[in-house]
Amino acid sequence: MAVAATETKSTEPEIGRRRFLGWLSGVGIAGSAVLGSLATFFFIRPRTTYGQPNRFKIGRPEEFPPGSRIAIDPKRVCIVREGNKVAAISTTCTHLGCIVSPSATGFQCPCHGSRFDVDGNVTGGPAPKALAWYAVSLTPSGELEVDKDSEIQTGTYLSV
Amino acid sequence: MRLALAVVSLVVLVGSGALVYKETQATWQNHQKAYFAEAKAQAKTDAERASLDVKSPKIEQTIVTGFGASRVERCESCHIASDDPRFASGKEPVRTHPYSAAMGDVYKDGHWERKHKFSEFGCTSCHDGQGRGLTKADAHGEDEYWPTPMLGYTVQANWKREIAGHLHGADFMQANCAQCHKEKNFAGTALVARGRELFFKEGCFGCHRIQGVSSGTIGPDLTEVGKERKLDYLWGHIVDPRAYTPTSVMPQFKLSDDDKKALVIFLKSRRGTSPSESPVEQYARETSTVTPVPDSVAEVQTAITAAKTSVARGEQLINGYACLSCHKLDDHDGGISPDLTHEGLLRDPAWLMDHFRNPRSRITDSNMPAFALPEQDFQDMSAYLMTRTSALPAMTPAQTYESLCARCHGEKGNGKGSNAIYLDPAPRDLTRAEFMATKPRTRLVASIQNGVSGTSMPPWGKTLTDAQIQGVLDYVWAQYVKEKPRQIKARKLPDTNPVAMSADSIHRGETIFLQRCTGCHGRKADGHGPNSIDITPRPRNLTNAAFVQSVSDRRLFESIEYGVDGTAMPSWIDYGLSQSDVGDIVNFIRSLNQSSK
Repeated sequence: MAVAATETKSTEPEIGRRRFLGWLSGVGIAGSAVLGSLATFFFIRPRTTYGQPNRFKIGRPEEFPPGSRIAIDPKRVCIVREGNKVAAISTTCTHLGCIVSPSATGFQCPCHGSRFDVDGNVTGGPAPKALAWYAVSLTPSGELEVDKDSEIQTGTYLSV
Repeated sequence: MRLALAVVSLVVLVGSGALVYKETQATWQNHQKAYFAEAKAQAKTDAERASLDVKSPKIEQTIVTGFGASRVERCESCHIASDDPRFASGKEPVRTHPYSAAMGDVYKDGHWERKHKFSEFGCTSCHDGQGRGLTKADAHGEDEYWPTPMLGYTVQANWKREIAGHLHGADFMQANCAQCHKEKNFAGTALVARGRELFFKEGCFGCHRIQGVSSGTIGPDLTEVGKERKLDYLWGHIVDPRAYTPTSVMPQFKLSDDDKKALVIFLKSRRGTSPSESPVEQYARETSTVTPVPDSVAEVQTAITAAKTSVARGEQLINGYACLSCHKLDDHDGGISPDLTHEGLLRDPAWLMDHFRNPRSRITDSNMPAFALPEQDFQDMSAYLMTRTSALPAMTPAQTYESLCARCHGEKGNGKGSNAIYLDPAPRDLTRAEFMATKPRTRLVASIQNGVSGTSMPPWGKTLTDAQIQGVLDYVWAQYVKEKPRQIKARKLPDTNPVAMSADSIHRGETIFLQRCTGCHGRKADGHGPNSIDITPRPRNLTNAAFVQSVSDRRLFESIEYGVDGTAMPSWIDYGLSQSDVGDIVNFIRSLNQSSK
């Protein structure tokens, strides 16, 4: 009823009020739309998936003696230690996804013969890209943790 | 109109804003933020501080595949400091999981090394709970429909308070330790071992089957009971078997709380499959046909080799096999099963041996398990029981009733003695004058003297003199019946069934039985018809061969034609059954109980 009453009267202050209400509705609708779309973009990325987690602990640094290159096949990562520096190099071939294995000259892929040097750079075969390096960190409990979600620049080591 | 639109649009804006805000303020996120802040305060290097600055709360999920079906666990989303030794004195959930040398954790070079690494074992393989949960209630399994609440920690809302009070403590987790640590003497599962001991000591193995442990058949199979039942049910069912299952025939064992706890933990550890077992081993176990020898049998057997005579051996066996956790012998009363004190005067060796081999061959509805023990043990125990012939001291009828009758018939004579609920058929209610006063005294005397076949009423003829029997009967009359014997009009009854036994007659009898009798006596004639639960005394089990064979045709005719006074059995003459109909029914009942010999 109040709405009908305002529509019959068309005095100057009433127009001001209409404007204000219209502006308010505009803010409300536009705001919800913006918030809604932002939230959609924000939440559309799943917080977890049901695969094996990409961040995992691999044990204490002592378990990897200096100079060793130990491949952990189930996790598809090779832990390289030089002196007191540690790094994690992907063992997934960049060609068709086979598991590469450490060799004397670096890594080699059993499927199509791709070869990589010790830092994972391609030295032969069909592989298009170098092997990825993953971020390694030391947890408070003293274990190394590899995060396959964050790729880092080739040659970046963690000092332990 | 514009006002409404403005209000609605603002409400939507505020609402969606609140939703977004809420999503960034979940409990687990706040726990992680608190952890990051505290870790930063404790950080020693700038690099560490910088690395903490860029951290934002994330769902910490691990997938544990080593223990049965893969377990998805997000416990560390809240318990984020569980593996961070700096938080040993932190407040849950941001707290270090305790290190324990008893669980194999090792302290060396200034830090602890866990034996059961969380990345390998996860949390729920020891603690239970719901690994996927992200709120406390979900994750700890507080919802009453979640089958595995955290052992010894979480109590579900529908658990009875008096039961739930006993179910706290880390000890209950031994049930999960035992999934992998199956050795009997493993130090970490002492209560499981104790529970297992009780399972044999209290005679549970006689009724219940647990694959690879015992082979009883009376009670439910408990092989996977730990998977099917929660702690409250296990505890509550041991305390009072009829609390959850009103028709349960399981005896109520008198156990201390410590023993109940051990038994509950043992049962909770029975989960069928075990993560430490390969599929091949599991298959071999499931298809194994070897009847396991109960631990206690082996133990008892070795303990009694010293005994020379059969009788001495039998006495030791009766104690060793824990017969007295149910039966009464002298002053030791298990409170469940009949008194064996005068067994030598009540039964003969053949009866005892048959009854040992299969209790239901003599007492059809006995709840005693057929223990699969060596034949020699049965003979020795029979030999010992047959020596229980000591004469009774001189007693007044009241004392006689008190010492011999009251345990079943009750101190008030109402058939509700301390062990009455375990006897089927139930002891006679002696206060029911309508029944007692209408039966000829000779029959009552005969029942005492010769017992009642197929029931737990033993023949007292060798224990009591005729005068004593008359005295007890007079005492019962004065105390409980309190009525003069009623004179029954002479009834016209045949001494033997005039209808000849024939296939036709049996068939006619069955037809009438199915029409008239099954409501109470049941379609199987076992006394468990649909009306039977409302009737006391319960309708007779007409497949109780020992009883039916001991009863004359005349009594069957009388019961059917004229009914049984003081019970629900009506007079079927009034409902139009003729003498030949009754003859057919009697033939049908007899045909159900023909001995196979």
